[in-house]
Amino acid sequence: MWSLRKCCTRLSKGRNGECARRMVRSILAGVLLAGILTGCKGMEGEEEKTSIRIGVSLYRGDDTFINNIRGELETCAKDYEQRHGVKVTLDIQDAKGSQNIQNNQVERFISLGCDVMCINPVDRTAASAMIDKAMTAGIPVVFFNRQPVEEDMDRWDQLYYVGAVARESAVLQGNIVVDKYRKEPESLDLNGDGVVSYVLLEGESSHQDSLIRTEWSIQTLKDGGVPIEKITGGIANWERSQASALMEQWLDQYPRKIELVVCNNDDMALGAIDALERAGIDEIKLVGIDATTPGQEAVRAGKLLGTVSADKEQYAGAIFSIAAAKALGEPVPEELSLEEDKYYWSPQEIMVSP
Amino acid sequence: MMTRKEKALWTLYGAALFLLFLLSSTDLIIKEKERQIYGISVIIEDTSDENYVNFRKGMDRAAMELHGDVSFITLYDKGSVKQQEEFILREQQDGSRALIVSPVDAAEVLAMQEDKRINVPLILLNSEIAPAGDGITERIGFDYYQMGQELGAQIVADTALDGNRKKQVFLFGEADPVSERFRDGILEELEEAEYEAVFWEESRASLKEAVAKVAEKRGEQLVMAALDPMSLTEMCQLLSDIGTENKMVKLYGRGTSVRLLNYLDKGVIQGLCITDDFSAGYLSVKMAVDLAENRIVEDMEYLESRCIRREDLRDVEFEKMLYPIE
Repeated sequence: MWSLRKCCTRLSKGRNGECARRMVRSILAGVLLAGILTGCKGMEGEEEKTSIRIGVSLYRGDDTFINNIRGELETCAKDYEQRHGVKVTLDIQDAKGSQNIQNNQVERFISLGCDVMCINPVDRTAASAMIDKAMTAGIPVVFFNRQPVEEDMDRWDQLYYVGAVARESAVLQGNIVVDKYRKEPESLDLNGDGVVSYVLLEGESSHQDSLIRTEWSIQTLKDGGVPIEKITGGIANWERSQASALMEQWLDQYPRKIELVVCNNDDMALGAIDALERAGIDEIKLVGIDATTPGQEAVRAGKLLGTVSADKEQYAGAIFSIAAAKALGEPVPEELSLEEDKYYWSPQEIMVSP
Repeated sequence: MMTRKEKALWTLYGAALFLLFLLSSTDLIIKEKERQIYGISVIIEDTSDENYVNFRKGMDRAAMELHGDVSFITLYDKGSVKQQEEFILREQQDGSRALIVSPVDAAEVLAMQEDKRINVPLILLNSEIAPAGDGITERIGFDYYQMGQELGAQIVADTALDGNRKKQVFLFGEADPVSERFRDGILEELEEAEYEAVFWEESRASLKEAVAKVAEKRGEQLVMAALDPMSLTEMCQLLSDIGTENKMVKLYGRGTSVRLLNYLDKGVIQGLCITDDFSAGYLSVKMAVDLAENRIVEDMEYLESRCIRREDLRDVEFEKMLYPIE
């Protein structure tokens, strides 16, 4: 600015040659300085990171499915360390079902300098506060299992979601029962009245998967030609103990009437099995979703008719791959096909008792 | 028109307000203590944290209260001395202010310190070997020998009059230093009561067959003691698969995982030695912070451990130990 102003003054005085030389020198010096600065920045960007830090917040650490995912994430981290020689620090925290605790955990992750955060939100409708903090700090977020509302997900291009399509889980669960009914109708219609009487154990009412799983599982049974009649249903919040208590109550209220127990997840199915075992009943069929480790054991032991497995290795693998790429400032790996550049849907399959 | 007195009063109010502002909103007068965050690394001997759940809860609590930034590190391969050594060096290089190590080989870790390859405070978990007492290495943990003695006494009390005609107890599990101390404690009690200890070193498949055979022969009781939590968990799973009657098989061991507590509740396990892992986690991080701040750390006694039966699970004293409120 100084040179230009001075030059203009001098130009007006008619000393054109000297001024032009000064101007060219100034411009050259500016370009050189900019070049040096850009070069330095470029070199800084090229510096390879030797460690990454990922903050993981779980909505509840005692949820069996989430615990399985956590275990897989740890395996992925170790695997990545060994393959790439990049140290991975996983800071895993349990929000214990409290959105306030989770918000504090997000603040802590930011203050500890996490490169990326993987969040399993307590309340899917309250993700905006966490997104605000992440955006301010410039830290990408991979949400999983509980999908934030679309408006929140659209706020920033560094937000991702990994989950399983709830409708697909429900349809697969329904198909387990449909197949069983077609092969052995008497195993489901225990009293032979031509109708399969069922009870329903549902997850949290605020969780989108719970509503979709219930709706589509029952719809699939109807579409598959299974004559069904609902006896009752209840919300057991995904929990084994709550499901067990509800089932015990229903067994007292509706003795010898229940023929099928449709559960939104495996933990609740296992709770219902606990109640059935206490009552000495083993002919009632149950279906779950998630294929947790104890759920799979129950299927193998014939206590659970079937469950739907979201491939946990792939599920956790997707969370980790996105997180690691973002932590290193790289694009998401191409092999992960993201819907709308932010949603990854984990494949699912059924697991049926022998 | 204000009087001189009023003017002085207003000036005084103004000055007081300004002073209050300085006191409350700036650190010009009251200097706020700079919060120091201590990076602490916990390196265990295992590949999973299944047996460290309560320990981690205590560790996290201490980290929150004492401004610690704790990294919990498991090995790629269980019991690998080399990997543990690499992790110790890596964490130290990455700026850890103190290390908490459950050593695969305590002598090896202490040798690293003697060679000056470790130059930050070190805390050994469950180590039998006492550090030299230079003030930057400490020990924290449980007396596994005494724990073994307690369990041995419980086995003898349970089985002496209860159909264990051969007075035999089958022992099985890992051969790590902690398990060996636990085994020695059990053996002392068994020998005193003139019991025969049989070491089972078969593979998992043959162990399953052996247990199933004994379970088939009604009238003969099988008494077993697992030396480590993992082997105990596997045996519980095996017994559940076989569906043996509990009266025929008596199983004992140690551990505090939720799975083991569930097996104790179901009656698959008859006696279980439990440890106050929450306190161990909390105190080890506290000790690490104290050492990092060059504060004098008091010599640590062994932490509490007890042998419990199924009926003790609902006891308030043990509930606190097993299900600590975070």
